[in-house]
Amino acid sequence: MSDAVPLTTDHPGQVASATPPAPGRSRRLSDRGLAVAFISPALLLLLAMSVFPLLWALYLSFTDYSATRGGPANFVGFGNYTAILASAQVHQRALTTLIYVVGAVVLQTVLGFGIAYLISRRTRGRGALTTLFLVPMMLSPVVVGLFWRFMLDAQFGVVNSMLGSLGLGQVEWLTRQRTALLSLIVVDTWQWTPFIMLIALAGLTAVPKYLYEAASIDRASEWFRFRTITLPLVWPLLLIAVMFRGIEAFRLFDLVYILTSGGPGVSTETLSFHVYKVAFLGFNTGTASAYGILMVLVVIVLTQLYLRYLNKLKEG
Amino acid sequence: MRHPKRTGRTSAPGRKVRLATAAMLLVAATMTACGDSKDDDAKASAPKAPATIPELTKDPLTLSFIWFDWPPAHALEDFANAEYKKERPNTTIKVNTVPNANWHDAMFTQFAAHKTDFDIAILDSQHIGEAVTNGNILDITDFVKQNIDVAAYNPYLLAAYGQFPQAETGKRDENASLYGLPLLGDTWTMIYRKDLIGDKPPQTWDQMISVAEKCQRENPGVSGLAFHQANGSDAAAVTYNTVNGIYGGNLWDSKTRKIDGVINDAAGQEAMDVLVNKMKPLTAKGSGNWFIDETNAAVAQGKACIAFNWIAASGGLLDPKQSTLGTTRKQILDKLGFATLPTQKTNLVPLGGMGMHVSAYSAKANQAEALNFMKWFERADIQKKWAAAGGVPSRTDALQSPEFLNAGPFNQVYTDSVPRMRDMWNVPEYARLVNIENTNVNAALNGAKKPKDALDDIAKEQQGVLDSSGRKGGGGL
Repeated sequence: MSDAVPLTTDHPGQVASATPPAPGRSRRLSDRGLAVAFISPALLLLLAMSVFPLLWALYLSFTDYSATRGGPANFVGFGNYTAILASAQVHQRALTTLIYVVGAVVLQTVLGFGIAYLISRRTRGRGALTTLFLVPMMLSPVVVGLFWRFMLDAQFGVVNSMLGSLGLGQVEWLTRQRTALLSLIVVDTWQWTPFIMLIALAGLTAVPKYLYEAASIDRASEWFRFRTITLPLVWPLLLIAVMFRGIEAFRLFDLVYILTSGGPGVSTETLSFHVYKVAFLGFNTGTASAYGILMVLVVIVLTQLYLRYLNKLKEG
Repeated sequence: MRHPKRTGRTSAPGRKVRLATAAMLLVAATMTACGDSKDDDAKASAPKAPATIPELTKDPLTLSFIWFDWPPAHALEDFANAEYKKERPNTTIKVNTVPNANWHDAMFTQFAAHKTDFDIAILDSQHIGEAVTNGNILDITDFVKQNIDVAAYNPYLLAAYGQFPQAETGKRDENASLYGLPLLGDTWTMIYRKDLIGDKPPQTWDQMISVAEKCQRENPGVSGLAFHQANGSDAAAVTYNTVNGIYGGNLWDSKTRKIDGVINDAAGQEAMDVLVNKMKPLTAKGSGNWFIDETNAAVAQGKACIAFNWIAASGGLLDPKQSTLGTTRKQILDKLGFATLPTQKTNLVPLGGMGMHVSAYSAKANQAEALNFMKWFERADIQKKWAAAGGVPSRTDALQSPEFLNAGPFNQVYTDSVPRMRDMWNVPEYARLVNIENTNVNAALNGAKKPKDALDDIAKEQQGVLDSSGRKGGGGL
């Protein structure tokens, strides 16, 4: 076993270079080489699984390539991009997606923060309550979609059955234009409110208690304490949660696929669902690649703007 | 970790070598990926199957199918393993199933990868064009000439499940190539409540609507009609196409590839009006996403006077465990009747069912086994056994055999319907055409679009798909 090496020194560089190599270690394998050896498997995996497919999709987005039809990938320039940006169908799906994202994220934020605030005020059973609220988030979206599909069935569903027992009429949750989108928002909210709640709870727990104590001494009202202490301190963390949920909601696919299949008609088709149809119904790989790249660009640009706002908020 | 003295740092030439190696690797990877495109070029037409069956392996072999999850898929696996094993004990039959909505994707994504985990694809008749054009399935024309008695079939069935280009209604082109053989015949049957509307089924479509209307009025809690309306798969599209055919409409002019002005002509408009304004009000609230299972559930629970469903999916209706109509099969049959579709301006009925097609990417031994299986399956005695096991055969002798006609109360309906069948477009663009029709008909049925607007949108969008072959970019939108 080698001698103990001092942890700190005035001349760390010299000490580091003087350190004898570990027993069994090749003389030719330097620290940097070792670092490269450790990092390269992960780096290669990342290159193979993420970077290369992304670059390949970028290349295909400028072609008319079809995965099933085969044949050469003819260069079409920005043809796919201009067609997508000019398409009325895409505009319609973008509007649907926007309504969905805004509706779902706002609802989840309000509910998530509300639940977290109420839980944070409890002293007993807080852990159990938090765990209970987190259950929906642990479920697969496909499973969630399937059981909500049964629950929202107009004829046999438990939701309409409950409404019936209250003397209210049947609602066609999944087959009417307005209620179908609303149902998607409700189901997504049911599943993902816990995510916002969890982050808000972390923020609420981190608020120093002495601030509340000082406010109590000044006889500040509950609302004043919430408005001037709680909300400003939790707000930045909440905004990060909103960003994550916004990105997730923007690429919603599974719930639409299971609950409404984009219907009635195409009224609940989101951008992701439309990309899926372009990619796998007609196997228009080039167009689908351009569509996907555009969606990534939209997310990147919006996230950058959002992060800048967050930074300004932090600086302020 | 600090490295003031970078003892292990590579020299500049060494870094260049590494960079060059990485660049070469990236280029090689790209070339490999590009190489696939060149392969695609070479295989752009369907490869030919041998005219005679090659020598079969004596080693254990699993012959895999792909189908969607419904009772005939399970019946096929049980039947084939029981019967085919008698001739080929080393072979095990595996029918892989996927949800109906994923059926097309599951097959064609594997075709796109040029590697399939199935040897026999069970394609909808309309998928043939896409699979043939892409070179995904074997051309079995020579094999059929040598091994199959084509005279034993109604020519249209043989054409519908195997021929490309598409056969016109009731006609088979003897010179066209064949890419598949019938596995399961199917069409719609009208299921009616004998205890509610009487023993005699309505004969015309208009009569059927008025009978359903009366039945709904007289039986609170029971809806007049139940049929497919969902916007997944081909559910709503088949419903509209059926009514379109019955009211004398056409889906397209196949010779001129014209849809706009054909599907939305006066007959087409009348069919859409009948479907949305006369039939839809007789369905249960919230039935706008119903497909095969939901329609069957409504019948089994006594919630519909008249329903329309595929014959091959109707077996479960007679199961007392799944029905509230009776505790025995006989009790259920006292209440349920099965009839051919009512006629109106024509007597057309939709062609359902599927054929067997050999994957071009399957191993040679498996392709040989697949051909042997198909030859075995199309034998007269096996077709009758398949009928007795719950399948719907395609050979005329099997269709008229007591084994088939006595196997289910709806089987006579199929035999009677064979000369009346009409299919959809069997073209490579089928998946997109049916999606357009499905979503628009579903929108009209659920109040998201006016019927006329929906039909005009179908015509315009479908025509756009057929005319878009020369477009530069944006294909598929």
